Amino acid sequence: MNDEMKYEEALAQLETIVRKMEANELDIDEIAAQLKTAQRLIKFCRDKLTKTEAELLEEQTDGQ
Amino acid sequence: MSDNRYSLRQLNLMVRDAIEMHLPDEYWVEAELSECRERGGHCYMELIEKEEDSNTPVARASAKCWRQTWQMLQPHFERVTGQPLHAGLKVLLRVYPQYHEAYGFSWIVTDIDPTYTIGDMARKRQEIIRQLKEEGVFDLQRELCIPLFAQRIAVISAAGAAGYGDFCRQLEENEYGFQFEVTLFPAIMQGEQVESAIINALEQIYSLTSQPSPLASQFDVVVIIRGGGATADLSGFDTLALAEHVAQFPLPIITGIGHDRDESILDMVSNTRVKTPTAAAALLIDNLRQVLTRIDDAQQRINMAISQRLANHKSRLATLQALIPALVQRMLGNTRHRIDLLESRLPVAIERIMTNQKHKLSQIELLLQGYDPQRLLSRGYSITLHNGRAVRDPQQLKAGDEIETRVEKGTIWSVVKNEELRVKS
Repeated sequence: MNDEMKYEEALAQLETIVRKMEANELDIDEIAAQLKTAQRLIKFCRDKLTKTEAELLEEQTDGQ
Repeated sequence: MSDNRYSLRQLNLMVRDAIEMHLPDEYWVEAELSECRERGGHCYMELIEKEEDSNTPVARASAKCWRQTWQMLQPHFERVTGQPLHAGLKVLLRVYPQYHEAYGFSWIVTDIDPTYTIGDMARKRQEIIRQLKEEGVFDLQRELCIPLFAQRIAVISAAGAAGYGDFCRQLEENEYGFQFEVTLFPAIMQGEQVESAIINALEQIYSLTSQPSPLASQFDVVVIIRGGGATADLSGFDTLALAEHVAQFPLPIITGIGHDRDESILDMVSNTRVKTPTAAAALLIDNLRQVLTRIDDAQQRINMAISQRLANHKSRLATLQALIPALVQRMLGNTRHRIDLLESRLPVAIERIMTNQKHKLSQIELLLQGYDPQRLLSRGYSITLHNGRAVRDPQQLKAGDEIETRVEKGTIWSVVKNEELRVKS
């Protein structure tokens, strides 16, 4: 369940960033960093849907 | 000892006669089946009546349905009630008594009223539902949410069932490339063992779920499926114990036990019910598709927000940029205007300066006029010059010096004759 929550939280976080962007709550300096985070979250969530646990683990260790 | 002795057969024949004489009709009887088996095309049953609110039998008898009748009654009963005749069912039978001197007493079944059984099943179900509600567990499953990333699926199904195959194929061949991890917990899905088999499987899943170890030992959701069976015997799904286990299970349970009659209690207490295993797979795929849609939507909205933001900034820049020439123009214009203004003030200032100067000049002229020797000359004075300088002292001169004396009307040139003549005035 913990892993699951991580993904659900990632999705929630992603949507928070989107809302802030749309509400113009971020200043131009923050946007670049937030955009990077958003893209990372999108990849994280997308991968979870289409990759096996083994592939995900491999990527995680590769990334470290 | 009495002389009136009978052989057993004689006595039994008397019983048979008595029964045939006194119970010549057919009767509708309500009873519970305690046993039911088919042999040689005939159906053999054990009927029982229990004391209300206890299991103590107060009546018991065998019943038989001969092949010819049974061939007609069996399909009808199964079609109407959705299950075969089996132990535990309450039935309404039309019977006549038969006492055979060799085989004993039996009720011979000539008709079965399946609607009675349905009514009884419904009543039992209502009773189970009432009990579940009383225990406060009836709605527990529906308070759970199928996780967004529900990909680890524990399946309870008969191992070789066509429905399980359909379910797995559907998941594997999903058009989005979603990954599912399916673990089968085999269970008998038909007949009276359903209850214990499913409970057993749930307990296995629970034991794996509650010990936190990575990957495969955990599940997001449980799917109970059944399908492809010849008959729709769902009676095993309508028991209190099974309903209690399902209702209180900590993971959301999806049922796809396929039937179009009333919902089974299992369906009522589960988190989500669908009709078929295929529909259960479709539900899980759709669940992930919704997640994917949320991600895509976020991506799209980010792109839009960013490009809008950039466009805003660009247009602000463009607006500012467009303002610059006009501002420069205005600045230049202002400067030019100031220059023009200054320029226009210049002649006036010069004019004034000139006037002042003229005025000063004429004053000086007047002043100078006071010094003009001509004026002295005209008043009769004269000036004597030697080598262009005014002679103020006779000592300056020697004999023979030429001097020039200016008077009003002209100049007199003379030569100094005698130095003695230089008289001090």
